[in-house]
Amino acid sequence: MANVKTNTEAQRLTFWERIYLPEIARGMGLTFKQMLQPTFTRQYPEERWEPEGSYRGRPVLVLEDGKERCVACGLCSRVCPALAIEVRAAETTDDKERYPEKFEINMLRCIYCGFCEEVCPEEAIVMSKDYELVFGSQEEGILGKEKLLVPVAQLRDRLEFLRQWK
Amino acid sequence: MPQLIIDGRVLEVEPGKTIIEAAFENGITIPHFCWHPALSPDGNCRMCLVTVGAHKKDSDGALLYGDDGNPEVSWFPKKQIACATPVTDGMIVDSISKETVETQNAVMEFLLINHPLDCPICDEAGQCKLQEYALVHSKGKSRFDEEKVAKDKRVQLGPNIIFDGERCISCSRCIRFADEVAKQPVLTFVGRGDKVTITTFPDTTFDSPYSMNVIDICPVGALTSMDFRFKARVWEMSFTDSVCPGCARGCNISIGVMNNEVLRTEPVTNMHVNNYWMCDHGRLAVPTIVNNNRTSGPMIRRDGVLESVTWDEAIAATVERLKSFKPQEITILGSSLASNEDNYLLAKLAKEQLQTSNIDYIQHLSHDFGDDMLRVNETAPNAIGAHTAGIAVGTNGHGVAKLVDRIKHGDVKVLVVLEDSLDDFSDELAEASAGVEALIVLTSHTNLTAKQASILLPTTVFAETEGTFTNIHHRVQHFSPAVVTKDNERLMTMKQSRWDKFGAPNDRWSSGEKRDARPAWKIIQALCVGLGANYAFGSSGDVFNDMAHHLSGFKDMSYPSLKKHQGLILGKGNSPEKEEEVYQSHVMKPA
Amino acid sequence: MDPIQLLIICAQAGMLVNLMLIAAAYMVLAERKVAAWIQGRVGPNRVGPWGLFQSFADVFKLYLKEDVVPAAADYKFHALAPIISIAVAITIYAVIPWSGPLVTIDGHSYGLAMAPQMNVAILIILAMTSVGVYGVALAGWSSNNKYSLMGGLRSAAQMISYELSMGLAVIGVVLISGSLNLVEIINSQIANGWNIMYQPVAFLIFFVTSLAETNRAPFDLPEAEPELVGGYHTEYTGMKFGLLYLAEYASMLAAGAIMATLFLGGWDMIPFVDEAALLGLAPDSIPMVVLGHITFVSKALLMVFVFIWIRWSLPRFRYDQLMNLGWKVLLPLALANIAVTGICLLLFG
Ligand code: SF4
Ligand code: SF4
Ligand code: SF4
Ligand code: SF4
Ligand code: FES
Repeated sequence: MANVKTNTEAQRLTFWERIYLPEIARGMGLTFKQMLQPTFTRQYPEERWEPEGSYRGRPVLVLEDGKERCVACGLCSRVCPALAIEVRAAETTDDKERYPEKFEINMLRCIYCGFCEEVCPEEAIVMSKDYELVFGSQEEGILGKEKLLVPVAQLRDRLEFLRQWK
Repeated sequence: MPQLIIDGRVLEVEPGKTIIEAAFENGITIPHFCWHPALSPDGNCRMCLVTVGAHKKDSDGALLYGDDGNPEVSWFPKKQIACATPVTDGMIVDSISKETVETQNAVMEFLLINHPLDCPICDEAGQCKLQEYALVHSKGKSRFDEEKVAKDKRVQLGPNIIFDGERCISCSRCIRFADEVAKQPVLTFVGRGDKVTITTFPDTTFDSPYSMNVIDICPVGALTSMDFRFKARVWEMSFTDSVCPGCARGCNISIGVMNNEVLRTEPVTNMHVNNYWMCDHGRLAVPTIVNNNRTSGPMIRRDGVLESVTWDEAIAATVERLKSFKPQEITILGSSLASNEDNYLLAKLAKEQLQTSNIDYIQHLSHDFGDDMLRVNETAPNAIGAHTAGIAVGTNGHGVAKLVDRIKHGDVKVLVVLEDSLDDFSDELAEASAGVEALIVLTSHTNLTAKQASILLPTTVFAETEGTFTNIHHRVQHFSPAVVTKDNERLMTMKQSRWDKFGAPNDRWSSGEKRDARPAWKIIQALCVGLGANYAFGSSGDVFNDMAHHLSGFKDMSYPSLKKHQGLILGKGNSPEKEEEVYQSHVMKPA
Repeated sequence: MDPIQLLIICAQAGMLVNLMLIAAAYMVLAERKVAAWIQGRVGPNRVGPWGLFQSFADVFKLYLKEDVVPAAADYKFHALAPIISIAVAITIYAVIPWSGPLVTIDGHSYGLAMAPQMNVAILIILAMTSVGVYGVALAGWSSNNKYSLMGGLRSAAQMISYELSMGLAVIGVVLISGSLNLVEIINSQIANGWNIMYQPVAFLIFFVTSLAETNRAPFDLPEAEPELVGGYHTEYTGMKFGLLYLAEYASMLAAGAIMATLFLGGWDMIPFVDEAALLGLAPDSIPMVVLGHITFVSKALLMVFVFIWIRWSLPRFRYDQLMNLGWKVLLPLALANIAVTGICLLLFG
């Protein structure tokens, strides 16, 4: 045992530290000072926070010229680690040939990772600034196209952010 | 036999083969688009460029070797296409050196110049040869700044095929297929240079019964199926090997299923049955057979209407009817639509439990369905099998032909029908059968007989259970379940897509309909047990093993061996054909 | 006892119980507010101005909650435990000298305190804190849940260990004041200066042990959330849980009041100063008594604040540390304190 270095409390701490009381007093002093500091709390429903473009809120579909940009390629659905997205394609006479006949995101599954946005070849699904999600039932948590489509004008910040940083 | 070296491996191949064939037979795959083993070589895509050379000799004719012991090679100055260069003795081929691969990369760059960025909307994506090679042979960036060529993107080449000119890489596989295999030479290239595209000759359309095979062999997504177009991405489906029930040829197929719905059928290469092909009839029939017009949940007729009951009730009621009549009053119809296992147990029910010899099956023969390629006139998949399994008129038995008369005379009190609709035989039979005291129907589809039934026991179709069919050339072939029913929910061997694997009951995408149907052998076994038998087959495999044990034709066969050899011939269970490399044009990666 | 006296005592008792419960409710609010301030937050601020009615909303909610009793629990004891806890706290309140006598009716004087003149008040207090452990131990045991039981056992062990030092700390005070009567103790402090000046060690010991007796941080092992879920009250819901919770805060206030009585001079405002003479009032006049009462309550609440402040500053002790502190530090210290006090009294008393 000769070469074993002991490192007991008694060796590490000075006498005053060991009787604790001065240290306790210091700690209490710190918390007391803290009490006099201003608070950080934001009064949420009245004071709303407006996120930056980098914020990853609920994923939404981009609505441009009255149509979704999405071509129902299903890549978002494939990449989604939480399997939140279901896409069903159908044919259209438009140039893009196909569109999502059904596009559902199960917000109870979504983990806001943004992979869907990253993989989308059409920049058709982006993370919005919407962080207020409340559902009354599991079924309500599955958002269909009507809830997902958001006009492109409202998504400018995010699209610019993506252009710059993606 | 010529001896050559490909990528350092010494191979011996038959004379007359091309380099690509020689390599393929020995498990070396040289990148290619236009080559297909069943089509004549055309050599237009240039993807298969390899470096070819010959062993150097000195002036005395002695072979020269380098300091490291490797042969000294005099390489041909130009690269050769592997698909059209026949092998010669002493040839040395290199397909993997940096220089060769760079050449292939250059070809790839050319092919991609005008190729549209269509992968997100292309049905081929996920199993596309161009995508696959682009991963290996391309930089992921194009140096081509100009506009890509625009071509027609939705051209109808035939009733089932849509052509996308932009995606086509002009490999001519489809043209050669139409000319050489389908024998309907209506496709051709038109235009020159980058304007080249494919069209049908004026006033013709590509409507051969085999036309849809071009969709499979097209190395890219230029040809899409009217039937399947945009229904699902390949990776969203599970693919299960099966046997086409469209006719007695029994083409090997793969069934694509998403959310418990069959969406697509593809041929699986089996050189002893269907080569690389299948007919359009079968391809289109499979989804219909599985998805449409199905029975679900057992029913008993009470006061003239069919009412839903539990399985136990239905089985008990059936057993009770079977018991309350004399054996001669019971007639049993097996089926050439049902599997060997189903027919085998039905024969056992008739012969061992009921001791009736009134047993037969309805034949499905057409006069004009067959041709000289794959299709045969026997349009049910398993007539030979039903016969072999014991559904044959016995010594005192009566055939189907006499059935109408016998029913009219009151000789038939109970009629047990497996799968078939009696109006397929004749309308009189269907009409007459409504008059028997108990019409017990085991069927998967809501056909006329199902509607007339006193007791309806819904059965699974081939895609929902494991089993075997015996084709017209006596080949016993195995099929696996692809679709989930309430009964087979826990079959561990089933292929699953990612959605199937991770779906929870409350996910809408995994809530596809599950039918309440059981394999016929299971129902028949329950009837036999009700009649006093002690059968305890746990799976189709158990039934098959019993057949292999008792019926000489199936001797030495088992599901694993059937799967391994892609089927075995009746009576030759222990002498399978030699196994060979099978060419699949393109497969999902990872498979 | 004549009926009028009985009536007055009943009214007094009713008032005290209600005041105590309201006080406990506000202490809960105070706890949350102090916690919030220390953490740079705002704390409850939605129910009433500055969240003042938050606690009532909480109590209201607790009343509406379903009372869930685990199937395997012993129902009788499960229901009894919160009653014991709260009853003990209330009983202590009866002997605390909240104020001097305010009015005299029929020759009996009445103040805010119920039985301030009781001779053995200190013994009652010590006895009641001992009984308090039954509430917690029973709650833990009757829930039939291993975590609750662990909480109950810990609490029993902890209380027994710290009671000893607590009693010994009080002896120092008793030695100096020469009485077990709380009013006498206060009066002796008014005359001679506060006990905290003569007995700082006893005060420290008493303070630490009362933290342990009330299961407050850093000695809140019986409910140590990270390891025991909720400790002895894991299986309590609704108002039964509410009672256990209120009992904790009621004991806190009681501890604060006892410390004010024993060490901080009771209702004396400034040591060594005769406030009555300074203000020109008779010592027993009503304004003086009221002022004294306010002083007393302020001292008690100051101690409560310190309790809360400690909770949000110090981490929890480990079990072995807790026992070491109780037996190896506090107990010898308390004994030494008695000896030294005794010797000093002999020499200078
Ligand atoms: S953000 Fe992530 S989890 Fe949510 S839908 Fe997109 S890929 Fe799925
Ligand atoms: S990745 Fe984009 S284009 Fe593709 S399905 Fe998702 S949202 Fe639509
Ligand atoms: S053919 Fe292949 S490479 Fe071309 S768009 Fe379709 S999937 Fe993509
Ligand atoms: S359509 Fe397909 S098979 Fe036909 S030439 Fe074009 S790429 Fe080849
Ligand atoms: S495969 Fe050889 S040129 Fe196309």
